[in-house]
Amino acid sequence: MITAMNLSLAASENDTIFHPALRIGVDVSGFARQIIEPEVFPIEVSVDFEWRENLFAVVEGGMLTANMERETHQYTADGFFGRAGADYNLLQLITDPSNDAILVSLRYGYSRFRQEAPLIIIPDGYWGDHQTSVDADTYQAHWMEAGIGLKTEVFRNFFIGWSLRGKILLSATSEPEMDPYYVGGYGSSGGNTAMTLHYSLYYRFPIR
Amino acid sequence: MLAALLLSGCQEDEVCEEITANPLRIAFYLAGQDEEIRAPVDSLTVYAIGRPEDRIYDRESAVSLIEVPLNPGENTSGFVLAFEHTNDTIMLDYRRDVHLISVECGFTMFFDITEVSYSTNKLTSLVIANERVTNIFDEHIQVFIPDPGNDNGNESEPGSQRK
Repeated sequence: MITAMNLSLAASENDTIFHPALRIGVDVSGFARQIIEPEVFPIEVSVDFEWRENLFAVVEGGMLTANMERETHQYTADGFFGRAGADYNLLQLITDPSNDAILVSLRYGYSRFRQEAPLIIIPDGYWGDHQTSVDADTYQAHWMEAGIGLKTEVFRNFFIGWSLRGKILLSATSEPEMDPYYVGGYGSSGGNTAMTLHYSLYYRFPIR
Repeated sequence: MLAALLLSGCQEDEVCEEITANPLRIAFYLAGQDEEIRAPVDSLTVYAIGRPEDRIYDRESAVSLIEVPLNPGENTSGFVLAFEHTNDTIMLDYRRDVHLISVECGFTMFFDITEVSYSTNKLTSLVIANERVTNIFDEHIQVFIPDPGNDNGNESEPGSQRK
């Protein structure tokens, strides 16, 4: 009985020693998206650093390519995006000893890419089909996003996680010749708000 | 429904046509009313100016809303509304921008109406209710016609509306 109490005391003492940790991740939801729409391919990686207990500094970045070719239209986009912000672990509130985390996230995001449409045919039964094109042009967007997510340690230092993010566009290239089909890191365009779901795999490097 | 269509990749051309079609919608209202009261018209024929043989509507009855295609290749389109006893014309100026709907369905044209001018043989006035023509749901132009039961003739001057 006494030994058990001592052990438990020792364990809780261990828990209070905070070790900073660096974690890298790959967002695999881009691969899932490619199954549905092979022409659009976002790839994204992340780095987070637990600099204070339950508080993580996070940087995410990635690339987006889109390449469509059909009889009636051609469209390409190519660029990068990045996000920076912080995650806060809510699970500490119920003193969970595991490394699992329920996270609330806040990010600033930026995306920049070139897009062009060398062939556009607008079908029209009355006026006849109209053929046009849009030259290559650069599009930029800035936004803020907030979200909630979950990270579960499935093996030692290996995590899987998902997160749901809501985004508000701060500014974007005004009056582009054509609205982008998909803004890397932000989501489908067509509004000042967007929602995305992410699924990621992570590896954590403990720092002693 | 729309999501299901998009997810299916709209492989049917007809589905794509429905999604990419982006007509201008003109609704008829009774003139001189405090409230907006739809005014169905009978024997309505509609065609683009200069193309009387290519009728978009052909002597149709009980029409209170029409859909007409704006010319995607020009910044202006004009239409003749032929009523039973008289004709009116509506000229529309607009800006165009292309919009990619989906990988399978491709592009559609969005229109921004900048100015509308019209004759007033039967029409008494016209209002641009929504200058952005980007879907098949909005009502873009409201035209007002006299109450047929109270037809004292129409003495309005030709007009124009700007956005």
